[in-house]
Amino acid sequence: MNKKIISITFLLIILVSITLAYNFCDTSSTDEKQYDSPVENIDENNISEEIDNTFLEEDDEIEIGEMI
Amino acid sequence: MKKISTLLIMLMILISISSLAIADESEENPGEEEEYEEETDGQNETEDLDIDNDTIKEIEIMNNSLGSEIRLLQLQKAIIKNLLKGEMAVDVLKGLDYNTTSLEAILSEMKDLLEEVKTVNTSSNNSVQLFVELKSVAKNLTKHFRETIKDLLGDEKLKQIRERIKENISEELENCSKMIRNKIRQFNRNQLYKLYGIIGEANNSFVNEYLNGNISVAELKLQISKTINQMNKEKKYEIFSEIKEGNIKKKIHAKAAIEDIENKGKGKGHGKEK
Repeated sequence: MNKKIISITFLLIILVSITLAYNFCDTSSTDEKQYDSPVENIDENNISEEIDNTFLEEDDEIEIGEMI
Repeated sequence: MKKISTLLIMLMILISISSLAIADESEENPGEEEEYEEETDGQNETEDLDIDNDTIKEIEIMNNSLGSEIRLLQLQKAIIKNLLKGEMAVDVLKGLDYNTTSLEAILSEMKDLLEEVKTVNTSSNNSVQLFVELKSVAKNLTKHFRETIKDLLGDEKLKQIRERIKENISEELENCSKMIRNKIRQFNRNQLYKLYGIIGEANNSFVNEYLNGNISVAELKLQISKTINQMNKEKKYEIFSEIKEGNIKKKIHAKAAIEDIENKGKGKGHGKEK
């Protein structure tokens, strides 16, 4: 009986360890992907967005509110 | 003994489930953090000065004298527009035999403010701080005028007056608009040359076409995007990174300037709500 309990306990410990290890590996690989993504996935929209931020629109105005 | 073993198994299952839950949470958290950041971004107003996100965005280009000139001219234009509307409203109210003393006092303060904006030295180190302070005063005076006129008239009459006051065009306003347009074109030309420096090729006739008004900013952006997109992956990434870096630097500069203003704690008298 004791042997059974011990083996079940070990099995569960292994299960928990695998879950935690998988979680750790998954997080670090996700981080890597996030870091690498700009290199791999620069599309026209990314470039247009940065170019938009570089120039000023000629009709650009400052808002201080309406008088009435 | 059986009871103990059942309890032990239950406990282990509980631990397994909780560890899975933790694993799930860690995946969800980044999104939550982003949401939180977005929420706080929307409420980025300081207590002393009215520094909203628009103002932070506006001062991004004020790291050089041309950028400062543009923003201060734009502030002048906004004040002139409001002064013209205010004066017209006062004229209408006078015709209806209303006491306009308080409104005229606000307009007088606005005129003084306009003169102050005109005298700011755009090459000076504190031009950003002055811009933030003066814009804050302009917003407060506008709000003060709006609330005062609302106290004088009911909503219905206010609506009638609003309809009678159309967009005013004055010589001063026109000149201001022209100057802003020219300065923005100069600014964009400088930005274009910076980009050409990064790309490694320049098109002077294209720049001249833009300065002469034959090409719009939208066409200019499109042309640059096309040029970059035609490049190979590595070069494209290199250029993208440099442009992004420049834009991030501008943002950091703006944030630092705001922090500096907050730390100095100046402009409290200007920024207070009236």
